[in-house]
Amino acid sequence: MADNRLLAVSGYLPLLRFDRKVARSELRWSGLGGSERGFRAVAAWDEDALTMAVEAARGVIGKTEPGSIIFASTSSPFTDRSMAGVMIDALQLSPGAMAQDVSGSRRAGVSALLKALLSGSSELVAAGEKRAALPGSGPHMTFGDGAAAALTGPGEGIARLVGWATVNADLLDFVTSAERGLPYEAEARFVRDEAVSAIYVPTISAALEKAGIAATDITHAVVPEPTAGTYAAVAKALGLKASNPCEEIAAKAGDLGAAMPLFGLALALDRAKPGEKLLLAGFGNGCDVLVLEVTGQSGGSAAAALAQGAVLSSYSRLLNLTGQIALDWGPRAEVNQKVSASTLLRHGRDVHGFVGGRDAAGNVQFPKTPIPVRPDASGPEAYQDVILRDVPATIVSITADRLNFTPDPPFYFGLVQFENGARVAMEHCDVEGKTPEVGAALRMRFRVKAIDRQRQFRSYFWKAAPAKRPNLPVEG
Amino acid sequence: MASGIKDKVVILGMGCTEFGERWNMSSDMLMVEAFGEALSDAGIEKNMIGAAWLGSALDDVNVGNSAIPLATALRLQNIPVTRVENMCATGTEALRGAVYAVAAGAVDIAMALGVEKLKDTGFGGLPIRTKGTVNDLWMPYGSAPGTFAQLAGAYQAEHSIKAEDLKRGMAHVSWKSHQNGALSPKAHLRKPVDMDTIVNAPMIADPLGLYDCCGVSDGAACAIVTTPEIARSLGKALDELVAVKALQICTSHGWESQYGEWDGASVRNTQVAASRAYREAGIKDPRDDISVTEVHDCFSITELVTMEDLGLSDAGRAVFDYLDGRYDHDGAIPAQVDGGLKCFGHPVGASGLRMAYEVYTQLLGRAGQRQLRKVNFGLTHNLGGQPSNSVSSVSIFGKL
Repeated sequence: MADNRLLAVSGYLPLLRFDRKVARSELRWSGLGGSERGFRAVAAWDEDALTMAVEAARGVIGKTEPGSIIFASTSSPFTDRSMAGVMIDALQLSPGAMAQDVSGSRRAGVSALLKALLSGSSELVAAGEKRAALPGSGPHMTFGDGAAAALTGPGEGIARLVGWATVNADLLDFVTSAERGLPYEAEARFVRDEAVSAIYVPTISAALEKAGIAATDITHAVVPEPTAGTYAAVAKALGLKASNPCEEIAAKAGDLGAAMPLFGLALALDRAKPGEKLLLAGFGNGCDVLVLEVTGQSGGSAAAALAQGAVLSSYSRLLNLTGQIALDWGPRAEVNQKVSASTLLRHGRDVHGFVGGRDAAGNVQFPKTPIPVRPDASGPEAYQDVILRDVPATIVSITADRLNFTPDPPFYFGLVQFENGARVAMEHCDVEGKTPEVGAALRMRFRVKAIDRQRQFRSYFWKAAPAKRPNLPVEG
Repeated sequence: MASGIKDKVVILGMGCTEFGERWNMSSDMLMVEAFGEALSDAGIEKNMIGAAWLGSALDDVNVGNSAIPLATALRLQNIPVTRVENMCATGTEALRGAVYAVAAGAVDIAMALGVEKLKDTGFGGLPIRTKGTVNDLWMPYGSAPGTFAQLAGAYQAEHSIKAEDLKRGMAHVSWKSHQNGALSPKAHLRKPVDMDTIVNAPMIADPLGLYDCCGVSDGAACAIVTTPEIARSLGKALDELVAVKALQICTSHGWESQYGEWDGASVRNTQVAASRAYREAGIKDPRDDISVTEVHDCFSITELVTMEDLGLSDAGRAVFDYLDGRYDHDGAIPAQVDGGLKCFGHPVGASGLRMAYEVYTQLLGRAGQRQLRKVNFGLTHNLGGQPSNSVSSVSIFGKL
């Protein structure tokens, strides 16, 4: 094995958790609605697979500068625009880093992580998922939105690879075609039986054998389930005693697709102790299985993400947030939001990275302007770049605007004061309930700035969120 | 050393259309209506006008860009006509152009006309506009109520005012304007509204409810200006000459929105413009000298904070001054006696000139049942853009 380790892993979930009981109740007349147990994580209107992956990646960067950035998703908002490239700008990583988007299967994230661990170089793998499904279908309830990221490289790290195996099998537990764009499911019993016997059991056995580790020595088994009961059958067949964090994630947030195994890995490493052995599986038309030895602990982001949030109990709002209802927003929604390609190239790296500038006298501002805003500045000055995304900030002014169009009213915005002196007019996100007060602490989130509905293009910028998320009810 | 504008220019005549939902009128018809009244009031022929300024803030709504729409509507033949746009200060900006041209001696008689045809947008409120390709990448798309509502929260926090006191103070601002609008024949909204209705109205942008917001209207207003000497030569009596005492505009340069000093609870451009205007007009104590104001009450909180920025109320006290009736029609310094933006209406490019029209009307004692007993100096004020990024104008008028 190459001496390349997992250096950090992180998980991110959107604020809202939809209570599945509500869907069951709303759809009772139809007999549809899927499982009524637990919650599913629901992305805000301005979150997508990329923005959530960026948020997850923020939890792992800084340990080392990765030479390769990989974005993994089956629900990327673009088919021909490098999301890894936008991520490089958002995280202000080197424009010379290799950018790669991987897709085609939920396994893509784990496959990329395996390759990164085998490569001997430092790589960032960030997976995000915001998958569409029709109301009434199983996936509309079982899917969840979220992201996870892993960073590899030389060093002690938090885990090392001790064995792996892979198998390919065109098992269509569900399939999403380019033309249909929505999942089409096979019979659950067939899926479970074949996932267990043809995919998981032989591949996990092979990986454990390569690692020279007995099934009973595994303390955490991160095994995404294509359908409930899969892991129980796998564990029974192999003698695994370990708990599977994916079961907890599925119940509390839903199946996170390409992000599921990495989120599960983050959760397992929040709880594991050095020396313990982990199993990490990526599932989708076969599987990749990694056996890892724990050498450290992750930062607790996944556990915190599961514990914090706000319950969503409106089915119609869920339909709106998941793009499954066409509301007539009136003429105010007709505003032209076309983005200029030349403007984006000229300003995109500063906008995506929230890069302001420190002027010659030390004042920080965003955006950089030819002549600084500092009152005694009289002519153009050179700036030193200042990244604002992690700088503490507070509210100067704010309102909940109910007049202008936003896909999920009301529209919160106002002036934000950063601790380093910068002041920026910003949109807010993740506000539920009461309008935050002047002086309240904020943290920045990478979000969709605007969606140009005429051309189906989206732009990205940062928005201000309350610094702390509320804790979910314990049963959530 | 600049000597200022005081008493160099007088108003020869003014006109103002009825503001409101003028479904059967296009912008050219509104221009003709306002101009006709002004020309008649001035008692001159059209061909005596040497230059004209058109104020129109939203060129995408029925007026069109350039000054050609004005020249065409009025058939102004072979004179310089200029279009200006400075958001809600547009009407005053047009007046400034005409006044400066006369004061400079460039022309004998000049005209300013502001017009806006907003009710052809197909929805209530102002049209939604982009802020340019660069700003659209990061700047919030807030509505006008949203941008001004920011003032309320910051003002409340800065002065430790209870939310319910602020709400009632703002409600009194609107209540007073509805009372006044009912006496104003050309006003858009001419119906009194009680305090409970105002306080309990649906929320538009926290904490501004429906009645804290002015609507948008169609309308036009026009001023014809000249020198005192020419006015006299045209037969105007000395006691019917209303002079421009001050015209000041102050524009944001990013300090409020990008530099970390502003508290968000006041509008510095208004403070600066007012200070310069008082100096230009020779006003020592505005609380004694200003008899009537027409301020930019696009939202109740704007009017309330403006009274502090103009120095007519102490900082943090305007809420209580309003509740005490200080700015009512029978108060110490009546405000918005024609109903203001709130009730007379707000066709953006015309509003600054409409304010001047009311002050001119009051100074000449022509205001009918809303006429004030004693009018010394009248003040008009516009606030374009938003408190954090604004254009503010303060103008003062009085008898020559």
